[in-house]
Amino acid sequence: MEGVNERLGEVIEASTGGFSAQCYKLYELPALGELVKCHYDETEILAVTCGGSTNSFEPGRRPIARGHDETSEDSLYQNNPQLNQLLRSEFGTVVVGFRQEGKYYHYLPSFPVRLHSFVYRCSDEEIIAFGESLEFLILLEGAQCEVPVEELIAACIRRMSVSNGPDSGFSVRAGKKLTEMYSGDYQRLRAILARLR
Amino acid sequence: MNSQAQKKLGIVIAGSLNQGIQARLDNNVSVEEVTVGNLVTIQGKSRRFFGMINDISLEVTDAGILQSSSAAEDSFISEILSGTATYGAMQVAPYLTLGVDNSLTDGPQPVKSIPSHFSPVLLANEADIELVFGRESKENFSIGNPLDMEVKLCLDLPEFVRRSNGVFGKSGTGKTFLTRLLLVGILQSGAAVNLVFDMHNEYGWKGTREKASPVKGLKQLFPSLVSVFTLDEKNSIDRGVSTDFVVNIGYDEIKPEDISLLRQTLNLTDQAVSATYQLQKRYGNRWIEEAMKLEDNEESAEILNSLNIHDATFGNLKRGLRNICNLPFVKPQVKERAVEKVLEYLENGKHVVLEFGRFRDITTYILIANLLTRRIYERYQAKTERAMANDSAPPRPLVITIEEAHKFLNPGVASQTIFGTIAREMRKYNATLLVIDQRPSGIDEEVMSQLGTKITGLLDSERDIDAVLAGMSGKSALKSVLSKLSSRQQALIFGHAVPMPVAFRPRDYGTPESYKELGSLRNDVDDDGLEDLW
Amino acid sequence: MALDLHKVASSLFGMTNDFAASQETRAENLANAIKIFASANNAKSLKNKVEASKTSWLVAEIVNDFNGKHKPGALPEEFGILATDGSQIDVDRHRGARCYLINIGTVALKYGNNPRAELNSHPLLFSKEEDLAARPDNYIPGREMMVEGSLLGIRRTVEEFKYLAELCAGIPKKDKALALVDGSLIMWGLLSKEYPDYIVDAVLENGILQQMESIWQLNSERQVALASYISFSRSTDVVNALRVLVCPHEKADCDKYCTGVSTEERPCACFDGIRDRDIFWQSLDCDERSDVFASRSRINCTRYGRHRVHFYYIKTFDEIARVEVPEWVANDAELLSLSHSLVINQCYKGQGYPVALSEAHEQAVVTGADRENFYHLMDEYMAGKKLSVTISAKSLSKKTRWV
Repeated sequence: MEGVNERLGEVIEASTGGFSAQCYKLYELPALGELVKCHYDETEILAVTCGGSTNSFEPGRRPIARGHDETSEDSLYQNNPQLNQLLRSEFGTVVVGFRQEGKYYHYLPSFPVRLHSFVYRCSDEEIIAFGESLEFLILLEGAQCEVPVEELIAACIRRMSVSNGPDSGFSVRAGKKLTEMYSGDYQRLRAILARLR
Repeated sequence: MNSQAQKKLGIVIAGSLNQGIQARLDNNVSVEEVTVGNLVTIQGKSRRFFGMINDISLEVTDAGILQSSSAAEDSFISEILSGTATYGAMQVAPYLTLGVDNSLTDGPQPVKSIPSHFSPVLLANEADIELVFGRESKENFSIGNPLDMEVKLCLDLPEFVRRSNGVFGKSGTGKTFLTRLLLVGILQSGAAVNLVFDMHNEYGWKGTREKASPVKGLKQLFPSLVSVFTLDEKNSIDRGVSTDFVVNIGYDEIKPEDISLLRQTLNLTDQAVSATYQLQKRYGNRWIEEAMKLEDNEESAEILNSLNIHDATFGNLKRGLRNICNLPFVKPQVKERAVEKVLEYLENGKHVVLEFGRFRDITTYILIANLLTRRIYERYQAKTERAMANDSAPPRPLVITIEEAHKFLNPGVASQTIFGTIAREMRKYNATLLVIDQRPSGIDEEVMSQLGTKITGLLDSERDIDAVLAGMSGKSALKSVLSKLSSRQQALIFGHAVPMPVAFRPRDYGTPESYKELGSLRNDVDDDGLEDLW
Repeated sequence: MALDLHKVASSLFGMTNDFAASQETRAENLANAIKIFASANNAKSLKNKVEASKTSWLVAEIVNDFNGKHKPGALPEEFGILATDGSQIDVDRHRGARCYLINIGTVALKYGNNPRAELNSHPLLFSKEEDLAARPDNYIPGREMMVEGSLLGIRRTVEEFKYLAELCAGIPKKDKALALVDGSLIMWGLLSKEYPDYIVDAVLENGILQQMESIWQLNSERQVALASYISFSRSTDVVNALRVLVCPHEKADCDKYCTGVSTEERPCACFDGIRDRDIFWQSLDCDERSDVFASRSRINCTRYGRHRVHFYYIKTFDEIARVEVPEWVANDAELLSLSHSLVINQCYKGQGYPVALSEAHEQAVVTGADRENFYHLMDEYMAGKKLSVTISAKSLSKKTRWV
């Protein structure tokens, strides 16, 4: 069911704990901590974006500075149209749950997504519904990704808080769950809480 | 039955039967809302528990949080931490268990076990209080409300008067008001007759009140049931109090035991006290009369010699006796014996309040109270024994109210006064005490232990607190509640007449509504015009 | 233990010594040559002398001037660059199935207000009889040439031009564009071996010349220049003109005058070791081009017709490159200027080499791993159809390193 969700990219690497996807348009990456979903038969697999990068398609070719004589960054791209074909933006994700028969589950699904699955942005309603339980934060906490886990968790909570609305108290609820998770490690907790604004 | 929603305060996290239950406050309950003395119920798996909050503390899961300034400065972070990493905890002393289904067949039982982990702790509601303390009725007298609650807290009066009781609290905490309430209760229920030794003229016709007009006394509320006797007729008239009898004491009514009790106040030496016994042996009832006749002459000296009474001793004694004989109400002869009159009224079911008028000094008080009580008690003893022998009705239960009890009942004299005896003999002869005092540490330990129910306002001396709580299980729990009582209009009651200790706010005494409620047995009193009658 | 560096080190060292020694002489000669070049002010007379002379080396034909310098014109606002390149997987004799692969990389770049880029690669697999062997129309068994090795390379070049012409056909009317290839427009490879006529015809008239013709025809409604870019050119056409200049004889004739004369004693020996790029590196400023010359190679002159290859040198910021253009570009001032300024622009974008060509190369290139994957896939399909995949012993022996 494609529905009205925006398509963000296509899976190019997949494992049970997370997947990478390439964006269709250069630089049109989802934000850090965004909730995204893929379909696998009747199941919707949900994941949180944990980092993005833009680099050359071919591992052997590295981007070089081209703008010495350019007046602006935009004119650099204008004057080098082949860049759009040679570069690609991709983002990584951490799987945080799935939806089956209308119900959300906040633990890992049994299978990874398929390659070339389409990755969709989740709507505000889906984010609110998924965020009713905060158990998935534990999956984020154990993620292996290039950004520090504290940044990832904070970005995810900030994003979900926007969908829930400023008066929903979502941030406070998430903060309390984090307090449970990080009991005994106040410094880390404090680092995340400070990033929740 | 229990349809009223109860406010959930938190959950049980630790504790023991001896140390009490520790509960953690829920996120949405502010630690500032919870006060010691509040009554709570704990919903265990198979039982319900009833207890009182006796301590409140702040806890933190990670001490590092307290070091960090961000929690203090940032309201967002402190909101998150509250209830999770930082939380309030309360200590609950469990007293009773109830079956889960509130089965009334057994009623509340003393607690022998504790609730399981995570049992919810709820604020007690009206239904709970009524279940435990009973509903207001003729025998269940409402003395006020448990702290922060509207429901009436009831006292089992028949149980109350079965034993001697005490009302304590430092000065200004409302002991007199409490006592008045208790007396009204006893009066209303008819559980006993009262004999009140009213040192400060507070109970009979009217009583004083700080920054307000005087309150009505017992007689104003129950004119036909209460009689006011006075030691000082003139003073009573001046104060506009109509009295039923003027008390005078004859010399022959005073016994050496009475003098012995006054040794401190009269500054009598031991020998002087012994001399009284000698004199009585010689002269019988007239010993005072004769002693006063003894002058500083040879004859007297001889007599004294024969009694082995030293000169100086006698001087000391005579001086003391003179103090007594000089009292206006002490007469060589009296026409009507006060004791007889009092007994007459008591037997007819009338309550007697003896005013002391001007004679508020402690000597007078001790003398009169002791003297009258001793004789009344003798009679009661005789009557009770006779009733037992004949299998007839015993005399009406009697409650004797005395103030400044530590003067009568301090360890030094407790064994000598009749009050000590009454306290020790409990209800054997149908007479019990109601002692009022602000220095309970001054009262003999054994006597204190005989008091069935104690009601106490704020006490600030550690020794007084220890004395009042002596012998109570869970003493430390009550101690913390007691020491946190407000100095006015808050008291703690515990003992036989209540299933469990409870902190309460005494009911109003002094408003028209209160008069109406309290004086409900007799409604021939016109509230407005009463002051004008006199 | 493949190459024993220890054993070759001393030889390397000796070699560099020789270089160093010859550097000094070279420097003198170069300075001399540049002086001569700069002072050659009678282009017409030199032109005539060159035409009259018979030399054993190729001399550039002077078209207009000799030692001029030209700055690039203004870049048009909107223009396109089209380029192709190719690579191949040659026939592997040690494999079961005979086939070869040509991979053509195509690049179409649009610059201006709506910049666009299309980068593609087109792999072409040839396995049929008519592809594996080049046969003339009047085929006699035995008279065929196997398309492999250098002939395959030539075939590939033809395909590159074919795709280039197709790309050019997609240029919108009224647009300006430059079609670029790498290497020389002159099919030197055809000269090195004795290729029969039918081959040469296929390569030239029916091959690249046909494509160049169709590109030229597009100019009726557009401006499409065609050029090839030779990096680090080793040509000596123009230096050889200097040889003719200094030759003492009225008409230079190497056979007549210098047979038997040792190299050092020839009057034009001072130009030994000097290449065109050495001269122009000193004489041109950055971005400038030299005068246009024509190549007097025989095949160019006899077969190329209106596409006869001309050339000029340009100086980029780090080298001298030789840009070859067909005659119809050289003679059209606008097209010539277009080729010059666009090539310069492409070199800036491409770190000294036209970016379109480097991208075309990237699209075309077949790595060793690609080769292996290709054969792997082929073997799988063959096995799937139960065809034998006989691999020769030699192939096996080369596949793994065994003891």
